[in-house]
Amino acid sequence: MSAEFNLQQSKILCVKCGEYLKTGSVTLEYLGNNFPVELYKCPQCGLVFIPENLATGKMQQVEKMLEDK
Amino acid sequence: MINKILKNTESVCPVCLKRIPARKLIEDQNVYLIKECPEHGNFRVLIWQSGIDYNSWEIPKISSIVHNCKTGIEYGCPFDCGICPDHRQEGCCILLEITSNCNLRCPICFANSNLNKNKDPEFSLIESWYRQLFNSGIPYNIQLSGGEPTTRDDLPEIIRLGHEIGFDYIQLNTNGLSLGKEPDYVRKLGDAGLNSVFLQFDGTTDEIYKTIRGAPLLDVKMAAIDNCSDNNIGVVLVPTLVREINLNNIGDIIRLAAKRIPHVRGVHFQPISFFGRYPSKPPMNRITIPEIIKAIEYQTEGRLKTTNFRPAGAENSYCSFHGNFILMQDGTLKPLPSSQRPDCCTQPVIAAEEIIKSRQFVAKQWSVGRACCCKNTGMNRPEIKDAFSDYGMNTESLDDFLDHINSYSLVISGMAFMDAWNMDLDRLRDCKIHVFHPDGRLIPFCAFNLTSESGKSIYRTMY
Repeated sequence: MSAEFNLQQSKILCVKCGEYLKTGSVTLEYLGNNFPVELYKCPQCGLVFIPENLATGKMQQVEKMLEDK
Repeated sequence: MINKILKNTESVCPVCLKRIPARKLIEDQNVYLIKECPEHGNFRVLIWQSGIDYNSWEIPKISSIVHNCKTGIEYGCPFDCGICPDHRQEGCCILLEITSNCNLRCPICFANSNLNKNKDPEFSLIESWYRQLFNSGIPYNIQLSGGEPTTRDDLPEIIRLGHEIGFDYIQLNTNGLSLGKEPDYVRKLGDAGLNSVFLQFDGTTDEIYKTIRGAPLLDVKMAAIDNCSDNNIGVVLVPTLVREINLNNIGDIIRLAAKRIPHVRGVHFQPISFFGRYPSKPPMNRITIPEIIKAIEYQTEGRLKTTNFRPAGAENSYCSFHGNFILMQDGTLKPLPSSQRPDCCTQPVIAAEEIIKSRQFVAKQWSVGRACCCKNTGMNRPEIKDAFSDYGMNTESLDDFLDHINSYSLVISGMAFMDAWNMDLDRLRDCKIHVFHPDGRLIPFCAFNLTSESGKSIYRTMY
């Protein structure tokens, strides 16, 4: 397990709804490309939590690939 | 007929190579460079064909302030190259000419190489060239060129040395004869860390090679691709386009390249330039970038479209085009969204940033992708996946996309070099392809290879 990855389900609350986030299907979209993934989201309002190391890791790599030289 | 002067620039006289004023004239959507030498008369050459609007093709750009200048401004462009402070872009790829010998004598050769056995630069001299470049602090990409570099037995050691000194990306410019005939030699090049081969590849028939290269070479070219593939060396197919000979073969070349993905990483078209050695007097109706792009669309039955291609930000917009594509499961090429053309709202790019991106893109794209040879290891993929999946998340689609795009992308690009007839000194100042002169100067490619009608050179004669 990665040391920098310290997400714990019980600690993520939706600030709007007060609900605990649960894993669910999400589609990420960038420049016309869709990526079906499973991430934590609020069961009530659908707010999605994207861990920082996902945003600055794989997601950023995908963005760079889709952008130009 | 609508005539309009688009822009004033400068060029050279094809006869005496003196710098002379020039103008770009648009006439029925074709753009011509017109100029007059007081001594040798008027010249007019096509530089842009109709079908793609000349003005809207240009990416607005904020020029670089160049470092590493070895010369000052004394005689003016193109006679001060070193590069001089008047230049507007750093180098992306630096060519090292490690031999003047060749194992072919093509009717077309920008370097005017031949079958002679001239003395090659010593290994220790090449080391000093590498060190001068590395000590400049600029992380150049390196292209080993010539002549035919594979005529040297110590080429693997030269490649290894370049990496040891600190260059990440080393590319070989070759006709592929040795690569096709000597698998052991290719293995040694691969073991030495050769990243990519810039393979002279003029077409998919022997007739084309007989005309352009003087011999039927298709089989040996295909064997070269096979041998590079076996050693995970990326291959870029580089056709020299000659009207009446292989302009109608563009679609077949692209289809062949697509079949050889992931090891074939790109196709890079170069319309014939009239410097060095060439078979006939330069025609006025040159092959220009719009004609190539339109031929790509026509010869791929519209699957690849003109709108899939755009200029690059690092060099002058009128020097090149490129489109980025992904191989789909059905064997077709799908354009990446990034290939869309700039529009009127496009903000100026910063040349100093574009050159960094260009070096990185070339090094990544023209090397063999990681997933095809070491899937699940190159990106530490299991660790990344486990970290997220341990918490119930699933981001496999991102991993699959990254693996696929790393390995199964193809760049279709082209570069229109300039010779004494179509030389535009305004374009030359933006050049990012530089040749390392043995005295330490960096000479923009088109200035280095520039020859007059009678074969007189500005820079090659200084060897």
